[in-house]
Amino acid sequence: MFQSGFVKLLRDGKGFEGTLIAAAVLYLVVFAAFPLVYTVVMSFQEVDMFTLGTLVRPFAGLENYTDLFHRPEFTPIVWNTVIFVTLSIAFQLVIGFGLALFFQQDFPGSTYVRGLFLAGWILPALVVGAVWRWIFAGDFGVLNYALQSLGLIDGQIYWLSNPAYALYSVIIANIWLGVPFNMILLSVGLAGIPGDVYEAAEMDGANAFQRFLTITLPMMGPTLGAVIALGVIFTLQQFDLVAALTQGGPANASNVAQYWSWQMSFQTYEISGGATVATMMIALVIVVAVIYVRSVQREHTF
Amino acid sequence: MLRKLLLGLVFSTAATSAVVAAPVTLQVWALDEPVHFTENMAKEFEAQNPDIKLDIKLVNFANILNDTIRAVSTNTAPDLLMLDNPDIASVASHDVLLDLSDRIAASKVVDAKNFYPGPINQSTWNGKIYGFPRGGNTLGLYYNADLFKAAGLDPAKPPQTWDEISAAAAKLTDAQKRQYGFGFSAVATEESTFQFLPWAQSAGGDFNAINTDGSVRALEFWQKLVDDKVATPEVLVLNQPDLGSQFIAGNIAMIVTGCWELPRFANEVKFDWRVALMPVEKAGAPRASALGELAYAVPKTSAHPDEAFKFLEYIYAQSSRDWNEYGWLPLDQTATPKDPKWPEAYAVFAEQMKYARGRGPSPEWPKVSKAIQVAIQDVLTHKTDAKTALDTAQGTIDGLIK
Repeated sequence: MFQSGFVKLLRDGKGFEGTLIAAAVLYLVVFAAFPLVYTVVMSFQEVDMFTLGTLVRPFAGLENYTDLFHRPEFTPIVWNTVIFVTLSIAFQLVIGFGLALFFQQDFPGSTYVRGLFLAGWILPALVVGAVWRWIFAGDFGVLNYALQSLGLIDGQIYWLSNPAYALYSVIIANIWLGVPFNMILLSVGLAGIPGDVYEAAEMDGANAFQRFLTITLPMMGPTLGAVIALGVIFTLQQFDLVAALTQGGPANASNVAQYWSWQMSFQTYEISGGATVATMMIALVIVVAVIYVRSVQREHTF
Repeated sequence: MLRKLLLGLVFSTAATSAVVAAPVTLQVWALDEPVHFTENMAKEFEAQNPDIKLDIKLVNFANILNDTIRAVSTNTAPDLLMLDNPDIASVASHDVLLDLSDRIAASKVVDAKNFYPGPINQSTWNGKIYGFPRGGNTLGLYYNADLFKAAGLDPAKPPQTWDEISAAAAKLTDAQKRQYGFGFSAVATEESTFQFLPWAQSAGGDFNAINTDGSVRALEFWQKLVDDKVATPEVLVLNQPDLGSQFIAGNIAMIVTGCWELPRFANEVKFDWRVALMPVEKAGAPRASALGELAYAVPKTSAHPDEAFKFLEYIYAQSSRDWNEYGWLPLDQTATPKDPKWPEAYAVFAEQMKYARGRGPSPEWPKVSKAIQVAIQDVLTHKTDAKTALDTAQGTIDGLIK
């Protein structure tokens, strides 16, 4: 009797919806909200490796933050992160958009080749890192060999061990890794633009460049917003490549916030320091996420 | 009815335990890659001690300290676990490990007189022994004898001082072929501290005296090797396995790396290669080398510390097999292998082990090490000079070890 009532409650419209919502909310609370709040809380506490098991820890106020700001590596790492995110996204987007437009032209095999591009994106970043490490190797790397054979450089460029190049080497590898994802998302956006709009414009005498500027770009606006927002989030998560290529070195030249946070949390066990960096990154990601959500909403309304 | 059944159950358990002692199961966390040392030892030990079972859970190197910390802070630690030797002090300083000193002193199997000093000092904190090293590994100078001959150097006389290293490295360097004379690892991880400390120690420095003149000279020496292009700038990103690969490929004529590379080199190196003691600053300067390897530790919460220690005694009794079967030197100096593999290399490393000095011990080791890593990388990239960088490191370290 009770059972059938319960089942009925579940199957019944309201009960069913409620259960679905409860499951999703429970998942979010356990796997997203709790760790997020926990990290923020830790950034205001004194945490070391042996107070991890308890929630009650000495309150540190803003000490973790001021301590962080006063570290000599703080400013360089923030700049590195800004450069890393900006350049990665700019190039991923431009190259990805270019490729998406290219494969939008209906030539034989275009869909297959576009599919092949995804191969890079399927590879784990650690594997990509290991491959790029060989490419970038200063003394015997393929890249130096190619550049020398083309007569572009004379000596070696120490891509990973020269502090002037290390960050840009990681960025190049990250761009390579991120292009396919950008391309696919943008291809989907392009496919959503109705063909008759282009036909009409063509009849009115608009050339290809004008069609791109006045039709493609405006109609891709929401998609571009979403891709950029996702790009910021993914780039701020890009930990494996740094770990595989340079470990943030030499002398912090390629260190970025996400790697620094890990170094503090799990290498030197300054867990509150790591949590503080993570909290600041969370704040940034929330701003980006809001932009993302808004552009997705706009996407639904046009 | 139920009471009767329970009563019967109680009686029958009491009866069986009176006949045979209930077998003890030890929970063991072991880091057993690539050699299955703990697992093999456990099998042999169980065969001899049917009343003790070992339930082994494998952990990997990256998680070993995190897992330990989590376990002791939630009271779920096993009876026996393994730690990398510089981490013993940090865990022990939180009063969560069992002091093994009395058990070692009372043991009929283990004789502290025969310990190599390095490994046991590394496992000691505040005068008490908290770790039981499964053995020790240390650094030596590997060199390519074929390249020595080609450069007109005598492979029977490997360089033994810093000046000799510089001179030999210069002769062994061939910029055209991108062949370097000398190699070490200055990567931004623990490995660079591990590699650098012996140079500083030979010149009178140490982790807590990292800005002494000797330490500064040691770092300037490293810097000069890179500046003179007899060592590749890639030392900043090469870890020790990478370094070994470059040696195998014949790209670097002399490298500093550990005895753990012997099996790989024996299999893969296609030229005449040899091993020598780590160079010292000048003839007669104190010898020094690094010390690595894992150690066993018994958490305080263990209900079976005696059985756990009995297992450690068994391991200790097998010490003479370590070199040939597992590739490290035992804790027991007297446990020489009967017919050592790579006998010349064995002689070098057994001698080198006497001078192997630990890292720390310090409960704040990861942060101490980080300060040294930063100094090494800042100097090799000419961000600062050696004196300034090491003064900064010393300041950080003083704040940590007080």
